[in-house]
Amino acid sequence: MITVNNLKKSFGDNEVLKDINLQVNPQEVVVIIGPSGSGKSTCLRCMNLLESVTEGEILIEGVNITDKNANINEIRTEVGMVFQQFNLFPHKSVLENITLAPIKVRKWSRQQAEEKALDLLEKVNLLEKANEYPNSLSGGQKQRVAIARALAMEPKIMLFDEPTSALDPEMVGEVLDVMKQLAKEGMTMVVVTHEMGFAREVGDRVIFMDEGYIVEENVPEKLFDFPSHERTKSFLSKIL
Amino acid sequence: MQGIKDFFSNIWAAIYDWILNDLEIRIDVIIDYFPLFMKGTLYTLGISISAIVIGCILGLFIAFGRLSPYSIIRLPFVWYITFFRGTPLLVQIFIIYLGVAPLFISGAGTTKAVISAIIALSLNSAAYLAEIYRAGIQSIDKGQIEAGRSLGMNKVQTMWYIVLPQSIKRMIPPFGNEFITLVKDSSLASAIAAPEILYWARAVNTRFFITWEPFILISLIYLFITLSLTYLLNYIERRWNIDDNR
Repeated sequence: MITVNNLKKSFGDNEVLKDINLQVNPQEVVVIIGPSGSGKSTCLRCMNLLESVTEGEILIEGVNITDKNANINEIRTEVGMVFQQFNLFPHKSVLENITLAPIKVRKWSRQQAEEKALDLLEKVNLLEKANEYPNSLSGGQKQRVAIARALAMEPKIMLFDEPTSALDPEMVGEVLDVMKQLAKEGMTMVVVTHEMGFAREVGDRVIFMDEGYIVEENVPEKLFDFPSHERTKSFLSKIL
Repeated sequence: MQGIKDFFSNIWAAIYDWILNDLEIRIDVIIDYFPLFMKGTLYTLGISISAIVIGCILGLFIAFGRLSPYSIIRLPFVWYITFFRGTPLLVQIFIIYLGVAPLFISGAGTTKAVISAIIALSLNSAAYLAEIYRAGIQSIDKGQIEAGRSLGMNKVQTMWYIVLPQSIKRMIPPFGNEFITLVKDSSLASAIAAPEILYWARAVNTRFFITWEPFILISLIYLFITLSLTYLLNYIERRWNIDDNR
Protein backbone atom coordinates (compact mmCIF):
# COMPACT_ATOMS: atom_id res chain seq x y z
CA MET A 1 0.00 0.00 0.00
CA ILE A 2 2.93 2.30 0.80
CA THR A 3 6.35 1.56 -0.63
CA VAL A 4 9.32 3.74 0.22
CA ASN A 5 12.44 3.23 -1.89
CA ASN A 6 15.85 4.73 -1.06
CA LEU A 7 14.28 7.80 0.55
CA LYS A 8 16.72 10.57 1.47
CA LYS A 9 15.89 13.91 3.00
CA SER A 10 18.19 16.81 3.84
CA PHE A 11 17.53 20.13 5.51
CA GLY A 12 20.38 22.17 4.05
CA ASP A 13 23.56 20.27 4.88
CA ASN A 14 21.84 18.24 7.55
CA GLU A 15 20.90 14.82 6.20
CA VAL A 16 17.95 13.65 8.31
CA LEU A 17 16.93 10.55 6.37
CA LYS A 18 19.65 8.37 4.87
CA ASP A 19 18.33 5.66 2.61
CA ILE A 20 14.98 4.57 4.02
CA ASN A 21 13.28 1.51 2.54
CA LEU A 22 10.00 0.30 3.89
CA GLN A 23 6.76 -1.31 2.93
CA VAL A 24 3.32 -0.99 4.51
CA ASN A 25 0.76 -3.62 3.54
CA PRO A 26 -3.02 -3.11 3.47
CA GLN A 27 -4.68 -3.27 6.92
CA GLU A 28 -1.30 -3.33 8.60
CA VAL A 29 -0.43 -1.20 11.63
CA VAL A 30 3.21 -0.14 11.47
CA VAL A 31 4.66 1.62 14.50
CA ILE A 32 7.82 3.69 14.16
CA ILE A 33 9.85 4.24 17.32
CA GLY A 34 13.24 5.80 17.98
CA PRO A 35 15.02 8.57 19.87
CA SER A 36 14.19 12.18 19.08
CA GLY A 37 16.08 13.44 16.07
CA SER A 38 16.13 9.96 14.52
CA GLY A 39 14.04 11.18 11.56
CA LYS A 40 10.89 9.20 12.32
CA SER A 41 8.54 12.20 12.14
CA THR A 42 10.24 13.49 8.99
CA CYS A 43 9.84 10.05 7.41
CA LEU A 44 6.12 10.06 8.23
CA ARG A 45 5.65 13.63 6.95
CA CYS A 46 7.30 12.66 3.65
CA MET A 47 4.55 10.08 3.14
CA ASN A 48 2.05 12.82 2.33
CA LEU A 49 4.65 15.29 1.11
CA LEU A 50 4.41 17.73 4.00
CA GLU A 51 8.17 17.52 3.57
CA SER A 52 9.64 17.54 0.10
CA VAL A 53 11.73 14.50 -0.75
CA THR A 54 15.40 15.05 -1.57
CA GLU A 55 16.02 11.68 -3.22
CA GLY A 56 14.25 8.37 -3.72
CA GLU A 57 10.60 7.58 -4.31
CA ILE A 58 7.42 6.94 -2.36
CA LEU A 59 4.59 4.93 -3.92
CA ILE A 60 1.10 5.05 -2.47
CA GLU A 61 -1.18 2.43 -3.99
CA GLY A 62 1.21 2.24 -6.91
CA VAL A 63 1.20 6.00 -7.56
CA ASN A 64 4.60 7.64 -7.33
CA ILE A 65 3.86 10.72 -5.19
CA THR A 66 7.40 12.06 -5.56
CA ASP A 67 6.83 12.39 -9.31
CA LYS A 68 6.58 16.07 -10.34
CA ASN A 69 3.32 15.42 -12.21
CA ALA A 70 1.62 13.65 -9.33
CA ASN A 71 -1.62 15.31 -8.18
CA ILE A 72 -0.64 15.79 -4.57
CA ASN A 73 -4.01 17.17 -3.44
CA GLU A 74 -5.78 14.07 -4.72
CA ILE A 75 -3.24 11.74 -3.09
CA ARG A 76 -3.63 13.56 0.24
CA THR A 77 -7.39 12.90 0.25
CA GLU A 78 -6.51 9.19 0.54
CA VAL A 79 -3.97 9.71 3.34
CA GLY A 80 -5.27 11.07 6.64
CA MET A 81 -2.87 12.75 9.04
CA VAL A 82 -3.06 13.35 12.79
CA PHE A 83 -0.60 15.80 14.33
CA GLN A 84 1.06 16.06 17.71
CA GLN A 85 -0.33 19.58 18.18
CA PHE A 86 -3.85 18.62 16.93
CA ASN A 87 -3.98 21.64 14.58
CA LEU A 88 -7.75 22.00 14.85
CA PHE A 89 -9.15 25.13 13.19
CA PRO A 90 -9.91 27.43 16.16
CA HIS A 91 -12.36 29.63 14.22
CA LYS A 92 -14.61 26.71 13.34
CA SER A 93 -16.86 24.57 15.52
CA VAL A 94 -16.07 20.89 16.03
CA LEU A 95 -18.67 19.97 13.42
CA GLU A 96 -17.32 22.54 10.93
CA ASN A 97 -13.77 21.31 11.50
CA ILE A 98 -14.88 17.87 10.36
CA THR A 99 -17.17 18.88 7.48
CA LEU A 100 -14.94 21.54 5.89
CA ALA A 101 -12.75 19.29 3.75
CA PRO A 102 -15.46 16.82 2.67
CA ILE A 103 -17.60 19.76 1.48
CA LYS A 104 -14.82 21.75 -0.21
CA VAL A 105 -12.65 18.91 -1.52
CA ARG A 106 -14.95 15.89 -1.87
CA LYS A 107 -17.81 18.21 -2.94
CA TRP A 108 -20.27 16.49 -0.65
CA SER A 109 -23.52 18.24 0.26
CA ARG A 110 -23.59 19.88 3.69
CA GLN A 111 -26.18 17.37 4.86
CA GLN A 112 -24.15 14.37 3.73
CA ALA A 113 -20.97 15.77 5.34
CA GLU A 114 -22.78 16.51 8.62
CA GLU A 115 -24.28 13.04 8.80
CA LYS A 116 -20.82 11.55 8.32
CA ALA A 117 -19.34 13.95 10.90
CA LEU A 118 -21.97 13.05 13.51
CA ASP A 119 -21.34 9.35 12.91
CA LEU A 120 -17.62 9.89 13.47
CA LEU A 121 -18.20 12.05 16.56
CA GLU A 122 -20.29 9.25 18.01
CA LYS A 123 -17.47 6.85 17.25
CA VAL A 124 -14.92 8.99 19.13
CA ASN A 125 -17.46 9.62 21.94
CA LEU A 126 -17.79 13.36 21.42
CA LEU A 127 -21.27 13.69 19.94
CA GLU A 128 -22.27 16.22 22.61
CA LYS A 129 -19.37 18.51 21.63
CA ALA A 130 -20.44 18.96 18.00
CA ASN A 131 -21.26 22.65 18.36
CA GLU A 132 -18.45 23.58 20.75
CA TYR A 133 -15.30 25.35 19.66
CA PRO A 134 -11.85 23.71 19.93
CA ASN A 135 -10.74 26.15 22.67
CA SER A 136 -13.30 24.68 25.06
CA LEU A 137 -12.05 21.09 24.63
CA SER A 138 -9.39 19.21 26.60
CA GLY A 139 -6.28 17.93 24.82
CA GLY A 140 -7.60 14.40 24.58
CA GLN A 141 -10.92 15.62 23.17
CA LYS A 142 -9.10 17.83 20.64
CA GLN A 143 -7.06 14.90 19.39
CA ARG A 144 -10.14 12.72 19.05
CA VAL A 145 -11.80 15.46 17.00
CA ALA A 146 -8.64 15.65 14.88
CA ILE A 147 -8.86 11.90 14.24
CA ALA A 148 -12.54 12.25 13.29
CA ARG A 149 -11.64 15.14 10.98
CA ALA A 150 -9.06 13.03 9.15
CA LEU A 151 -11.45 10.05 8.94
CA ALA A 152 -14.20 12.20 7.43
CA MET A 153 -12.31 12.18 4.12
CA GLU A 154 -12.58 8.37 4.16
CA PRO A 155 -8.84 7.88 3.72
CA LYS A 156 -7.31 4.51 2.92
CA ILE A 157 -4.27 5.18 5.10
CA MET A 158 -3.91 7.05 8.39
CA LEU A 159 -0.64 8.62 9.53
CA PHE A 160 -0.20 9.51 13.22
CA ASP A 161 2.65 11.84 14.17
CA GLU A 162 3.19 11.40 17.92
CA PRO A 163 -0.56 11.77 18.58
CA THR A 164 -0.29 11.49 22.37
CA SER A 165 2.96 13.37 23.06
CA ALA A 166 1.30 16.71 23.78
CA LEU A 167 -1.33 15.23 26.08
CA ASP A 168 -1.61 15.12 29.85
CA PRO A 169 -0.98 11.52 30.97
CA GLU A 170 -4.56 10.86 32.01
CA MET A 171 -5.80 11.71 28.50
CA VAL A 172 -3.46 9.42 26.58
CA GLY A 173 -5.69 6.40 27.09
CA GLU A 174 -8.82 7.84 25.48
CA VAL A 175 -6.88 8.69 22.29
CA LEU A 176 -5.13 5.32 22.15
CA ASP A 177 -8.50 3.59 22.57
CA VAL A 178 -9.83 5.31 19.48
CA MET A 179 -6.71 4.29 17.55
CA LYS A 180 -7.01 0.68 18.75
CA GLN A 181 -10.61 0.60 17.60
CA LEU A 182 -9.54 1.97 14.22
CA ALA A 183 -6.84 -0.71 13.89
CA LYS A 184 -9.37 -3.39 14.76
CA GLU A 185 -11.60 -2.18 11.92
CA GLY A 186 -8.79 -2.82 9.49
CA MET A 187 -7.44 0.67 8.83
CA THR A 188 -3.94 0.81 7.40
CA MET A 189 -1.95 2.88 9.89
CA VAL A 190 1.55 4.24 10.30
CA VAL A 191 2.11 5.53 13.84
CA VAL A 192 5.10 7.43 15.17
CA THR A 193 4.91 7.18 18.95
CA HIS A 194 6.67 6.81 22.25
CA GLU A 195 3.83 4.65 23.62
CA MET A 196 5.55 1.26 23.73
CA GLY A 197 2.51 -0.41 25.26
CA PHE A 198 0.45 0.65 22.26
CA ALA A 199 3.19 -0.50 19.86
CA ARG A 200 3.29 -3.91 21.47
CA GLU A 201 -0.46 -4.36 21.70
CA VAL A 202 -1.66 -2.93 18.40
CA GLY A 203 1.35 -2.89 16.10
CA ASP A 204 1.69 -5.62 13.50
CA ARG A 205 5.24 -4.51 12.93
CA VAL A 206 7.58 -2.15 14.77
CA ILE A 207 10.33 -0.17 13.08
CA PHE A 208 13.22 1.21 15.12
CA MET A 209 14.88 4.25 13.56
CA ASP A 210 18.09 5.98 14.61
CA GLU A 211 20.15 8.73 12.97
CA GLY A 212 18.23 8.59 9.72
CA TYR A 213 18.38 4.84 9.21
CA ILE A 214 15.97 2.00 9.87
CA VAL A 215 18.06 0.00 12.30
CA GLU A 216 15.69 -2.88 12.87
CA GLU A 217 12.14 -3.94 12.10
CA ASN A 218 10.22 -6.89 13.38
CA VAL A 219 6.96 -8.03 14.95
CA PRO A 220 6.60 -6.30 18.34
CA GLU A 221 7.18 -9.38 20.52
CA LYS A 222 10.53 -10.05 18.88
CA LEU A 223 11.68 -6.44 18.62
CA PHE A 224 10.85 -5.61 22.22
CA ASP A 225 11.90 -8.90 23.84
CA PHE A 226 14.78 -9.97 21.62
CA PRO A 227 16.25 -6.91 19.94
CA SER A 228 19.14 -7.91 17.70
CA HIS A 229 21.02 -4.59 17.42
CA GLU A 230 23.03 -2.86 20.13
CA ARG A 231 21.37 0.51 19.45
CA THR A 232 17.89 -0.98 19.73
CA LYS A 233 18.88 -2.62 22.99
CA SER A 234 20.27 0.55 24.51
CA PHE A 235 17.22 2.59 23.39
CA LEU A 236 14.77 0.07 24.79
CA SER A 237 16.72 -0.26 28.05
CA LYS A 238 16.37 3.49 28.58
CA ILE A 239 12.63 3.70 28.03
CA LEU A 240 11.20 0.39 29.21
CA MET B 1 -25.27 82.36 47.09
CA GLN B 2 -26.84 84.90 44.80
CA GLY B 3 -23.55 86.76 44.81
CA ILE B 4 -21.62 83.73 43.52
CA LYS B 5 -24.23 83.13 40.81
CA ASP B 6 -23.97 86.73 39.65
CA PHE B 7 -20.20 86.51 39.68
CA PHE B 8 -20.19 83.53 37.29
CA SER B 9 -22.87 84.91 34.98
CA ASN B 10 -20.85 88.11 34.72
CA ILE B 11 -17.76 86.11 33.73
CA TRP B 12 -19.75 84.19 31.11
CA ALA B 13 -21.16 87.42 29.72
CA ALA B 14 -17.63 88.81 29.45
CA ILE B 15 -16.40 85.69 27.62
CA TYR B 16 -19.32 85.78 25.18
CA ASP B 17 -18.67 89.45 24.58
CA TRP B 18 -14.99 88.76 23.96
CA ILE B 19 -15.67 85.92 21.53
CA LEU B 20 -18.38 87.71 19.57
CA ASN B 21 -17.04 91.25 19.46
CA ASP B 22 -13.31 91.37 20.19
CA LEU B 23 -12.36 88.12 18.36
CA GLU B 24 -14.73 89.05 15.54
CA ILE B 25 -15.70 85.52 14.75
CA ARG B 26 -17.14 85.49 11.23
CA ILE B 27 -19.97 83.05 11.75
CA ASP B 28 -21.59 84.56 8.70
CA VAL B 29 -18.77 83.40 6.40
CA ILE B 30 -18.95 79.91 7.81
CA ILE B 31 -22.71 79.87 7.29
CA ASP B 32 -22.31 81.15 3.72
CA TYR B 33 -19.69 78.56 2.92
CA PHE B 34 -21.30 75.75 4.87
CA PRO B 35 -22.72 73.99 1.77
CA LEU B 36 -19.24 74.02 0.20
CA PHE B 37 -17.69 72.57 3.37
CA MET B 38 -20.33 69.84 3.28
CA LYS B 39 -19.52 69.15 -0.36
CA GLY B 40 -15.84 69.08 0.59
CA THR B 41 -16.63 66.57 3.33
CA LEU B 42 -18.28 64.36 0.73
CA TYR B 43 -15.16 64.60 -1.44
CA THR B 44 -12.92 63.78 1.54
CA LEU B 45 -15.11 60.78 2.37
CA GLY B 46 -15.34 59.71 -1.27
CA ILE B 47 -11.59 59.91 -1.85
CA SER B 48 -10.84 58.12 1.45
CA ILE B 49 -13.39 55.34 1.07
CA SER B 50 -12.42 54.69 -2.57
CA ALA B 51 -8.74 54.54 -1.60
CA ILE B 52 -9.50 52.21 1.35
CA VAL B 53 -11.49 49.80 -0.84
CA ILE B 54 -9.03 49.81 -3.77
CA GLY B 55 -6.04 49.73 -1.39
CA CYS B 56 -7.42 46.71 0.50
CA ILE B 57 -7.95 44.69 -2.70
CA LEU B 58 -4.67 45.75 -4.32
CA GLY B 59 -2.83 45.29 -1.02
CA LEU B 60 -3.98 41.67 -0.69
CA PHE B 61 -2.75 40.98 -4.23
CA ILE B 62 0.62 42.62 -3.44
CA ALA B 63 0.89 40.69 -0.17
CA PHE B 64 0.51 37.37 -2.02
CA GLY B 65 3.13 38.46 -4.55
CA ARG B 66 5.40 39.49 -1.70
CA LEU B 67 4.91 36.05 -0.09
CA SER B 68 5.77 34.12 -3.25
CA PRO B 69 8.54 31.56 -2.76
CA TYR B 70 9.98 32.53 -6.17
CA SER B 71 12.25 35.56 -6.02
CA ILE B 72 11.46 36.53 -9.65
CA ILE B 73 7.80 37.03 -8.71
CA ARG B 74 8.59 38.42 -5.28
CA LEU B 75 11.08 41.11 -6.28
CA PRO B 76 8.77 43.48 -8.21
CA PHE B 77 6.40 43.52 -5.24
CA VAL B 78 9.27 44.21 -2.85
CA TRP B 79 10.30 47.16 -5.05
CA TYR B 80 6.72 48.40 -5.19
CA ILE B 81 6.44 48.42 -1.41
CA THR B 82 9.89 50.00 -1.04
CA PHE B 83 9.03 52.81 -3.46
CA PHE B 84 5.59 53.70 -2.08
CA ARG B 85 6.71 53.54 1.54
CA GLY B 86 10.01 55.27 0.92
CA THR B 87 8.87 58.38 -0.96
CA PRO B 88 6.55 61.18 0.24
CA LEU B 89 2.88 60.78 -0.55
CA LEU B 90 2.74 64.39 -1.74
CA VAL B 91 5.43 63.63 -4.33
CA GLN B 92 3.46 60.56 -5.46
CA ILE B 93 0.32 62.70 -5.80
CA PHE B 94 2.18 65.20 -8.00
CA ILE B 95 3.73 62.45 -10.15
CA ILE B 96 0.32 60.93 -10.79
CA TYR B 97 -1.50 64.26 -11.28
CA LEU B 98 1.14 65.91 -13.46
CA GLY B 99 2.76 62.88 -15.07
CA VAL B 100 0.39 59.93 -15.30
CA ALA B 101 -3.13 61.40 -15.35
CA PRO B 102 -2.57 63.71 -18.42
CA LEU B 103 -1.95 60.57 -20.48
CA PHE B 104 -5.54 59.48 -19.88
CA ILE B 105 -7.53 62.60 -18.93
CA SER B 106 -7.20 65.90 -20.80
CA GLY B 107 -7.70 69.34 -19.23
CA ALA B 108 -7.27 70.34 -15.62
CA GLY B 109 -10.75 69.75 -14.21
CA THR B 110 -11.87 68.61 -10.81
CA THR B 111 -12.39 65.07 -12.08
CA LYS B 112 -8.72 64.73 -12.98
CA ALA B 113 -7.61 65.98 -9.56
CA VAL B 114 -10.00 63.73 -7.66
CA ILE B 115 -9.13 60.65 -9.72
CA SER B 116 -5.40 61.37 -9.34
CA ALA B 117 -5.83 61.70 -5.59
CA ILE B 118 -7.75 58.42 -5.37
CA ILE B 119 -5.11 56.61 -7.47
CA ALA B 120 -2.16 58.00 -5.48
CA LEU B 121 -3.77 57.25 -2.11
CA SER B 122 -4.81 53.74 -3.23
CA LEU B 123 -1.35 52.84 -4.51
CA ASN B 124 0.27 54.27 -1.39
CA SER B 125 -2.03 52.62 1.14
CA ALA B 126 -1.84 49.33 -0.79
CA ALA B 127 1.88 49.19 0.04
CA TYR B 128 1.22 49.65 3.76
CA LEU B 129 -1.82 47.35 3.80
CA ALA B 130 0.17 44.65 1.96
CA GLU B 131 2.65 44.57 4.82
CA ILE B 132 -0.21 44.32 7.34
CA TYR B 133 -1.72 41.42 5.38
CA ARG B 134 1.68 39.74 5.18
CA ALA B 135 2.34 40.07 8.91
CA GLY B 136 -1.17 38.74 9.64
CA ILE B 137 -0.81 35.76 7.31
CA GLN B 138 2.65 34.89 8.59
CA SER B 139 1.49 35.06 12.20
CA ILE B 140 -0.73 32.00 11.71
CA ASP B 141 0.81 28.75 12.97
CA LYS B 142 2.27 26.61 10.18
CA GLY B 143 0.41 23.62 11.59
CA GLN B 144 -2.87 25.19 10.44
CA ILE B 145 -1.65 25.19 6.84
CA GLU B 146 -0.35 21.63 7.18
CA ALA B 147 -3.68 20.47 8.60
CA GLY B 148 -5.54 22.04 5.67
CA ARG B 149 -3.18 20.64 3.06
CA SER B 150 -3.17 17.18 4.64
CA LEU B 151 -6.96 17.09 4.21
CA GLY B 152 -6.50 17.53 0.47
CA MET B 153 -7.27 21.25 0.28
CA ASN B 154 -5.18 23.15 -2.23
CA LYS B 155 -3.18 26.29 -1.42
CA VAL B 156 -6.00 28.69 -2.31
CA GLN B 157 -8.63 26.80 -0.29
CA THR B 158 -6.30 26.59 2.71
CA MET B 159 -5.59 30.32 2.49
CA TRP B 160 -9.25 31.27 2.04
CA TYR B 161 -10.98 28.99 4.55
CA ILE B 162 -8.29 28.58 7.19
CA VAL B 163 -5.51 31.19 7.20
CA LEU B 164 -7.31 34.43 6.22
CA PRO B 165 -10.31 34.12 8.58
CA GLN B 166 -7.92 33.66 11.50
CA SER B 167 -5.47 36.37 10.49
CA ILE B 168 -8.06 39.08 9.73
CA LYS B 169 -8.83 39.40 13.42
CA ARG B 170 -5.18 40.19 14.09
CA MET B 171 -5.10 42.65 11.19
CA ILE B 172 -8.01 44.83 12.40
CA PRO B 173 -6.05 47.13 14.80
CA PRO B 174 -3.23 47.95 12.31
CA PHE B 175 -5.84 48.32 9.53
CA GLY B 176 -7.63 50.89 11.71
CA ASN B 177 -4.41 52.88 12.08
CA GLU B 178 -3.87 52.82 8.34
CA PHE B 179 -7.44 53.90 7.54
CA ILE B 180 -7.21 56.86 9.93
CA THR B 181 -3.87 57.89 8.44
CA LEU B 182 -5.43 57.63 5.00
CA VAL B 183 -8.38 59.89 5.87
CA LYS B 184 -6.00 62.53 7.19
CA ASP B 185 -3.61 62.16 4.25
CA SER B 186 -6.48 62.79 1.84
CA SER B 187 -5.99 66.46 2.82
CA LEU B 188 -2.83 66.43 0.66
CA ALA B 189 -5.16 66.30 -2.35
CA SER B 190 -5.81 70.01 -1.77
CA ALA B 191 -2.34 70.59 -3.26
CA ILE B 192 -3.70 69.54 -6.67
CA ALA B 193 -6.97 71.46 -6.17
CA ALA B 194 -9.19 68.49 -5.45
CA PRO B 195 -12.15 70.21 -3.74
CA GLU B 196 -12.01 68.32 -0.41
CA ILE B 197 -12.35 70.12 2.94
CA LEU B 198 -8.81 71.47 3.34
CA TYR B 199 -9.18 73.02 -0.12
CA TRP B 200 -12.27 74.96 1.03
CA ALA B 201 -10.65 75.99 4.31
CA ARG B 202 -7.74 77.48 2.39
CA ALA B 203 -10.14 79.16 -0.03
CA VAL B 204 -12.02 80.85 2.82
CA ASN B 205 -8.71 81.71 4.53
CA THR B 206 -7.26 83.52 1.50
CA ARG B 207 -10.49 85.26 0.52
CA PHE B 208 -11.57 86.63 3.92
CA PHE B 209 -8.25 86.63 5.80
CA ILE B 210 -9.74 84.57 8.62
CA THR B 211 -7.84 81.62 10.02
CA TRP B 212 -9.47 80.13 13.12
CA GLU B 213 -12.98 79.69 11.78
CA PRO B 214 -12.28 77.50 8.73
CA PHE B 215 -9.42 75.51 10.23
CA ILE B 216 -11.16 74.79 13.54
CA LEU B 217 -14.24 73.78 11.56
CA ILE B 218 -12.40 71.31 9.33
CA SER B 219 -10.42 69.97 12.31
CA LEU B 220 -13.75 69.14 13.92
CA ILE B 221 -14.93 67.48 10.71
CA TYR B 222 -11.74 65.37 10.52
CA LEU B 223 -12.12 64.45 14.19
CA PHE B 224 -15.71 63.42 13.60
CA ILE B 225 -14.70 61.14 10.71
CA THR B 226 -11.70 59.56 12.45
CA LEU B 227 -13.57 59.05 15.74
CA SER B 228 -16.47 57.41 13.88
CA LEU B 229 -13.96 55.16 12.13
CA THR B 230 -12.29 54.26 15.43
CA TYR B 231 -15.65 53.44 16.96
CA LEU B 232 -16.62 51.30 13.97
CA LEU B 233 -13.34 49.34 14.03
CA ASN B 234 -13.54 48.80 17.79
CA TYR B 235 -17.03 47.42 17.26
CA ILE B 236 -15.85 45.05 14.53
CA GLU B 237 -12.91 43.92 16.64
CA ARG B 238 -15.19 43.18 19.59
CA ARG B 239 -17.52 41.18 17.37
CA TRP B 240 -14.65 39.06 16.04
CA ASN B 241 -13.36 38.41 19.57
CA ILE B 242 -16.80 37.36 20.73
CA ASP B 243 -17.01 35.01 17.75
CA ASP B 244 -13.72 33.43 18.72
CA ASN B 245 -14.74 32.67 22.30
CA ARG B 246 -18.05 31.04 21.50
